[in-house]
Amino acid sequence: MSPWPMSTARSSLLALGAALALAAAACATVKPSEREVLSRPEMNPASEGLEEQFQSHVESAREGGFGGHGAAGGGCGCG
Amino acid sequence: MRLRLTGGAPRRGVVMRVMRVMRVMLAMLVILIAGVPRALVAEDRMTVRGNYYREASTRVLAPVVYVEKDVPDERFTVGAEYLLDAVTSASIGAGAAAVTGGDFLFTEYRHETTLRLSSKLRNWSLGGYFRYSTESDWISRSFGLSVARELFNRAGTLSLSYSGNFDSVNKIFAGRVLPWTSTGTSNLQQVNYLGVGYTHALHRRLLGGLLFEGIVATGPQDNPYRQVRDGLPESHPLLRRRGAISGFLRWAVPRTPLVLEPRYRLYGDDWGIAAHGLDLRAHVRFLKRVVLRGRYRFYSQSGAYFWAEDGYYPATAIYRTADPKMTRFHSHTPGAELTIELDGLARLRGLKWLRGAWVQATYNHVLVSKNYRFGDARLGSLAFSVPF
Repeated sequence: MSPWPMSTARSSLLALGAALALAAAACATVKPSEREVLSRPEMNPASEGLEEQFQSHVESAREGGFGGHGAAGGGCGCG
Repeated sequence: MRLRLTGGAPRRGVVMRVMRVMRVMLAMLVILIAGVPRALVAEDRMTVRGNYYREASTRVLAPVVYVEKDVPDERFTVGAEYLLDAVTSASIGAGAAAVTGGDFLFTEYRHETTLRLSSKLRNWSLGGYFRYSTESDWISRSFGLSVARELFNRAGTLSLSYSGNFDSVNKIFAGRVLPWTSTGTSNLQQVNYLGVGYTHALHRRLLGGLLFEGIVATGPQDNPYRQVRDGLPESHPLLRRRGAISGFLRWAVPRTPLVLEPRYRLYGDDWGIAAHGLDLRAHVRFLKRVVLRGRYRFYSQSGAYFWAEDGYYPATAIYRTADPKMTRFHSHTPGAELTIELDGLARLRGLKWLRGAWVQATYNHVLVSKNYRFGDARLGSLAFSVPF
């Protein structure tokens, strides 16, 4: 059985679709007064920085791919 | 002081005016330093983390200490980090096939220090770091710069980051450290990374983000100790261009303490490797101060165009590899993480300093397909973080 969940081309289209969907959704803005849930620690993408650093280090040593562990300042201003 | 000593009525007036100006300036300074709104003040924090990694031929203990201090607030933050990689039993030719002599025992220490500076000014975040890492045959110097801008009334953040690595690659032969140039003329491995990310609050319970990343690496990128089946050394191309797009969502499920986090990453490079990474996480705050995170990751990649499944290469082959990372394989990684916030203990006498502190235990088990020579892996870590 192939380990590939789907073809690369199909996956690329799916990723592009997700990007477009996110771009379209970005037009909607959640008001500051509605961000109580978003300010919970579990919703903060930057909260796992040190663990991500370790995971990223191990993945780069074992896998041909890289990335997916975020860039600086990637969280929303919900704090 | 000198004005007072030579005093007279007119000069006394000057002294009073100077004193008034100085008082105003002092008051402004106090307001600037101490009068910053509380929301701007981030906490100073120290985190100690012990990482453990084990696979078939390698066992690594990697303790790390990270300290962050605002001077005087988050408008300027200084951070310092020290990491020790203690490889207690490993092979420097990691993953070498048994027919070429297999792995041989090797003990090594790698020291890594990082200095970070960051600044938050209104809607802008700026950051930079310098990192120096050294081990017996490899010296790495890297730096990074990042800038982020909050948009749409702080509902979104656009970020841009760059980092550059300048590594000196060497080979230890007969007790001497010699520069390793592979098929090139320099032992300098240079890596340039660029990342562009955007995160947006899509709904009052939903956060989403996208990240585009690119890397260009030049210089020797093969292992100077690893050989293919016919005894020839590895030979990888001197140039590698890599790109990845990844996205995530974080959804707080209504009327539950559950946050679901799917991640997906698509990767490709000019060595012929394409990879998918799907990571599903669930965060549950099942007690007021206890958070459990479950995780499952699926990773799958194709092989590099110069990977030979049987390990044999014709004499005319320009590129050869025995690196297990270059093969086609897939893996499954279940994992769990438990975080306990220690604010409850801070109510006890003498333990007030634990307010805002937490402890965390993490375990991940990587299960790989049969053809992958590094084998399964276990990753664990224990962390303690305390503000000061």
